[in-house]
Amino acid sequence: MHLYKTMKSFLFDKDYFIDVWDKCIHVFGFIDIDVLEEQKISLVLEHFKIEILGQDFRVLKLTKKEILIEGNLNTIKVIR
Amino acid sequence: MKDTIIWVEVEESKKERLLLKCFKMKVPVLETKIENSKFFIKIYESDYPKLKKLWFVKVKKSNVTGWALVKQVLWSHRIFILAVLFGLILLYIISHIMVSVDVIHSNKEIRELVRLTLKEKGIKENTFRKSYKEIKQIKKEILDLYPDKLEWLEIEVHGMNYTVRIEERKLESEKETKSSCHIVATKDALVKEMVFSKGMANVKTNDSVKKGDILISGLIKKDEEVKDIVCAEGSVYGEVWYTITASVPMEYKVSTRTNKRRWNFRFKNLYVDDFIFRSRLETYEEEKKPILNLFGNELIFVIQHETKEEIKKYTEEEAKNKAVEEGIAKLKSTLDEKERIMYQKVLKNEVNNSTMNVEIFVSVLENIGEVQEFDENIE
Repeated sequence: MHLYKTMKSFLFDKDYFIDVWDKCIHVFGFIDIDVLEEQKISLVLEHFKIEILGQDFRVLKLTKKEILIEGNLNTIKVIR
Repeated sequence: MKDTIIWVEVEESKKERLLLKCFKMKVPVLETKIENSKFFIKIYESDYPKLKKLWFVKVKKSNVTGWALVKQVLWSHRIFILAVLFGLILLYIISHIMVSVDVIHSNKEIRELVRLTLKEKGIKENTFRKSYKEIKQIKKEILDLYPDKLEWLEIEVHGMNYTVRIEERKLESEKETKSSCHIVATKDALVKEMVFSKGMANVKTNDSVKKGDILISGLIKKDEEVKDIVCAEGSVYGEVWYTITASVPMEYKVSTRTNKRRWNFRFKNLYVDDFIFRSRLETYEEEKKPILNLFGNELIFVIQHETKEEIKKYTEEEAKNKAVEEGIAKLKSTLDEKERIMYQKVLKNEVNNSTMNVEIFVSVLENIGEVQEFDENIE
């Protein structure tokens, strides 16, 4: 496991990333969830917060650091 | 072993709260869906007890997936599965048990001999069917055991029966020795070839002979005095003339394939031999491809090519040639290897009632000698 973690941190050295597709948003590396609603989702990252605004948001997948959201995205705000 | 996966069901209105709780409790949500106002999340079964503690939602285990689902389905259908397995085993046993051994031969002694030997070798009633290899070995052993009695033996498997066919070996009995015989002509002919090893020739090449004439005599004479009496041996080939007639209809049918074809399946066993689907073509040719043969039940894939029959008409010349060909072929089928047609000519041809009739004159070289005994004392 140690070897795997070392390799992973070497190859995948980002603390976070946010992917936006046509109907999906994928966020990796968040710490907490502030708001989880159909029009608004707010996620806390290490040094800032992001606010995702839109309609019909639905969580497709949710793990410790990752979230995959489906819905119609209007705005992503980064709040420092 | 990998954790099994389950679906958990809650009211749709409480989905945000549940997801937040899952996140706080570090329960990974692998997938979500909404069906009939219910919210479903897919989680590992090991996380399920954590969710059960939540007071604000009534968590209901919906269904399982993966290996757990397989186990659950197998368990719930265990009686059916066991019955099917039992049925298959029973079918296998029943279809591999042979209930009778039929030995086919006219001689009772041979039949009994083979039946007893087969019994010793394990081919008997109410036993498991032998494999092809074993049957082949048994056949060889039996033939080796009775080389002077059995010429050939075949063991066929028909469903649950063995059918044994035998050919008895008939040792060539010593040739019947005749003490006194001539070779006489069986028909009027012109002698063309003559070979003999015993006797005395009465005719020579190009002699004309009548039916019943002595060709090779069994009486060995010198100066009109009989010196010895033997059984004449030899063969005499003579030119024989025939007039044969043959006829063919002027019209004939030709079947040609159209591009239309249909697929079908044929099921065949001892009792049934029929198509599974109704054949929609009136006239067709079949192309068969066997796909399954299970315990004598055959399933054959059949491609039916539609055919169209056309009626064609020969020209007079074609019809004449066809009739001559057929007449000659028929005559040839009666000749042996050494006999042959020397000459042929069409004497007459006429069309009558849509039929071509021909008359052919044929000259044939054929064996005209036949052994005929005679009484020594009379001679």
